[in-house]
Amino acid sequence: MSALGHFIEEEGIATVAIALIRPQAERTRPPRALWVPFELGRPLGPPSDPEFQRRVILAALWLLERKDGPVLLVDFPDDDPREAADHSWHSPRTGGARGDLAAALEAEIAELAPAYRQSCAERGRTTVGLTSLTPTEAASYVAAWLRGPPPSASPVAELSPVLCLRFAVDDLKAYALEAAIAGGAKPSSKQLGDWLWNDSAIGAAVRALRVQLMASDDERAKLIGTMFMVPGVRAAS
Amino acid sequence: MRLDRLPAAQAERYATLECPDFQTTLWVEGPPLRDRRVAIVSSAGLVVRGERPFRGREADFRVIPGDTRPDQLLCSHISINFDRTGFQEDWNVVYPLDRLNELAAEGVISSVAATHYSFMGAAEPAQMEASAREVAGRLKSDKVDAVILSPV
Repeated sequence: MSALGHFIEEEGIATVAIALIRPQAERTRPPRALWVPFELGRPLGPPSDPEFQRRVILAALWLLERKDGPVLLVDFPDDDPREAADHSWHSPRTGGARGDLAAALEAEIAELAPAYRQSCAERGRTTVGLTSLTPTEAASYVAAWLRGPPPSASPVAELSPVLCLRFAVDDLKAYALEAAIAGGAKPSSKQLGDWLWNDSAIGAAVRALRVQLMASDDERAKLIGTMFMVPGVRAAS
Repeated sequence: MRLDRLPAAQAERYATLECPDFQTTLWVEGPPLRDRRVAIVSSAGLVVRGERPFRGREADFRVIPGDTRPDQLLCSHISINFDRTGFQEDWNVVYPLDRLNELAAEGVISSVAATHYSFMGAAEPAQMEASAREVAGRLKSDKVDAVILSPV
């Protein structure tokens, strides 16, 4: 991100970077940066908190008025209030991981459908859609990999079978996590991740798929299993 | 991110991530904030629904027209090691367009760009240079004179 700032500034446009990893901004030295203490993935901080987000973006934009650079690296003082757990939130009630993981995965996708639809209506959007598959189709495709042997054809013309698998898994995670925020509670990312990776059939299925892919003779499948299925902090648990 | 709250080994990894070495830092001045036209450049691997997702460490960019609706924006970043639930709940966490439009309506900034841009931040910085310079050219054509760089 900081590198982009250098290149764009060199072309004559003033930039201000939001920085999530302070040592990186210290070493890359973009002209103006606001370090924020929020978790990776949340440069503006808490979702559904316009006032807080406004303070962050203003803190960044006001650096454009300063005359005392380069280099400016300023710290945003406040933590993301959404890092705290919301104990009024309840994880989705599904059958969870059981027996045949491929079947449990497909069952859970169906069980989550009402909550997913509710969540989409509440937010007016979904982030599911990296493949053109419906969640049911994506689950069937992932289940086919779990059941083996690996499908030789991709259900999406422009994606190879293994790349389609990666994006289908991304879509299923998004589907499950969006279903889990239906109802207006404000769970932390940790609460959501604990449910997905420890209690859901989707999480268990993706963990199993990771192990399966890592044992593959196909180098691309092995790489995708190692790097792009289960987050590093979750893979160790 | 507060590295002091992470396990030591993980904090060390982030603290020592390989970074490009820029010998100099340019500094472009401009008008007061109230006269600035502002664009977002994200490194979240954002794509408009239906467009080709980023694959691998691709160093090109995607165009996000200013009238793109929240339902049309997806995240195809290669890394799975950052939170996506914030973006899933509210796109402003990563792509603060609503906040910029509010600031423009209030006169805090002059206006919001007609087009915004996204890169996939895990690409090699040196390989992004040509794309970044092309984006800068497009931003200048849109009379943008301030860019907010939003990472994940």
